[in-house]
Amino acid sequence: MGFLLSSKDYAEYIKLAAAKIHENGEYVTALDAATGDGDHWTNINMGFEKLVEAIPELETMSLYEEFKKIGIIMMSVIGGSSGVLYGSAYMGAAKVLKDKENIENQDMCNVLEAMLNSIMTRGNAKPGYKTMLDCLYPAVECYKDSIAKGLSERETVSLVKKAANDGAQSTADMEAVRGRACYQANKGKGNLDPGAITMAYQLEVLMDYIAAKL
Amino acid sequence: MKKIINHPNNVVSEALQGLVKACPELQYAEKLEVVSRKEKKTKVGLVSGGGSGHEPAHAGYVGKGMLDAAVCGNVFSSPSPDRIIKGIEEANSGEGVLLIIKNYSGDIMNFDMAREMAEMEDIRVESVIVKDDVAVPDSTYSTGRRGIAGTIFVHKIAGAKAESGASLDEVKAAAEKAIANIRSMGMAMSSCTLPAVGKPGFVLGENEIEIGMGIHGEPGVERTNVKTADQVAEILLSKILEDYDFSGSEVALMVNGLGATPLMELYILNNEVEKILTSKGVKIHKAFVGNYMTALEMAGCSLTLMKLDGELKELLDAPCSTPALTII
Repeated sequence: MGFLLSSKDYAEYIKLAAAKIHENGEYVTALDAATGDGDHWTNINMGFEKLVEAIPELETMSLYEEFKKIGIIMMSVIGGSSGVLYGSAYMGAAKVLKDKENIENQDMCNVLEAMLNSIMTRGNAKPGYKTMLDCLYPAVECYKDSIAKGLSERETVSLVKKAANDGAQSTADMEAVRGRACYQANKGKGNLDPGAITMAYQLEVLMDYIAAKL
Repeated sequence: MKKIINHPNNVVSEALQGLVKACPELQYAEKLEVVSRKEKKTKVGLVSGGGSGHEPAHAGYVGKGMLDAAVCGNVFSSPSPDRIIKGIEEANSGEGVLLIIKNYSGDIMNFDMAREMAEMEDIRVESVIVKDDVAVPDSTYSTGRRGIAGTIFVHKIAGAKAESGASLDEVKAAAEKAIANIRSMGMAMSSCTLPAVGKPGFVLGENEIEIGMGIHGEPGVERTNVKTADQVAEILLSKILEDYDFSGSEVALMVNGLGATPLMELYILNNEVEKILTSKGVKIHKAFVGNYMTALEMAGCSLTLMKLDGELKELLDAPCSTPALTII
């Protein structure tokens, strides 16, 4: 029997992700100051704080409504590029969850893939541009691959977590094509992309949360 | 951090409340951070916006002959689609709305999304993208040229066109003509501190300046030693004139301060810029000297030239009345 995440579970994950982001403030801000204007963490942290405040409401909703609501909150509270990208991601993922009561293994993969596609479309961006996509894309590829190979769920989530983290780390060697880092003479090369790092935090916490349910 | 603020999270909202208290013809939409004209007229609506910290841009250009609404994001961060939709609704009188967007990834994504959502409500929305900063190479691959102080000229031209009763397509065409004829180049002498971050985003040495730095502190083309005003004028103008041929034409000139540079220095710079342009056969029709598009408390300046033809000249000279720019 595999895992099943309800909207209440997903709200619980949001709380854990918020804590993970909160505790890495100085590190992410320092990364961002190197290539951006240093406010990525402040904004995404503010977004997650608002999500945590909304948990009593979120956990009573259907998954579809919950994801839409998360998207709206992230869009309006985070603002900037990250806000609209996460907003688009959650609204795209909500469609996958229409009429679903639980998220199981294949659904989770579909949710992440819908997020990936929404972010690529909204940002007119591809993997390799030194963005959060460089974390999410390999994670989704790994997830699809693991399901195709028939790997156990425990193995799958552990591989997806690794793919997300490796992907985020791979941004260090990339040249930025979108966002503030692309104005740097070296296009931010040598620095990690802070947006990929905060994406990796979320995927890591999500995969760990699923593993704990198995 | 030394700033006259209460709490970093409230700077945008409190600044806009303070602005409308000084300008009774404007109104402020709380939480959505939109400043708009109280008096509505049936005409094409103009909306601009972007991150805050560039005051008086953009809320200071809301008024007769310029914008109908300005949508303000957090400091140096694009406003979200829900805020932009409010701006579109405030500006819409049934004749359609033109969005004037500065060319940054975040602004483009948020304004695009807002436009899609407004179109679902049957509001006709068009947009133009300002990319005047010649410090960055133009590019179709990456985001490319940034939008900086030249945006104010686009507000003025499109605003005058809209006020004249022109259609949305005509207003958009006038804005695009202005954009095609505008070039800017800046330089910074000191950093700036985002209220939410609390310390400077980068450091410039005591005698260092950075040529081509962006209005959010994005890196420029060269870090060098402090220069005299005539040298600054020469460096900035040469980049602009290399990029676009202004010789023999009439131009509008903007000598813009980034926030912490005294007006006295901007006038000194204007004096030098006029000498160089005159020697190159460029005639200045009108010069604007002041803090029009700032970067918090950054010291430094930018120069903007807009080549004028009959139509652009007439639209530039048309009257406007806004908190930050009035032409009688």
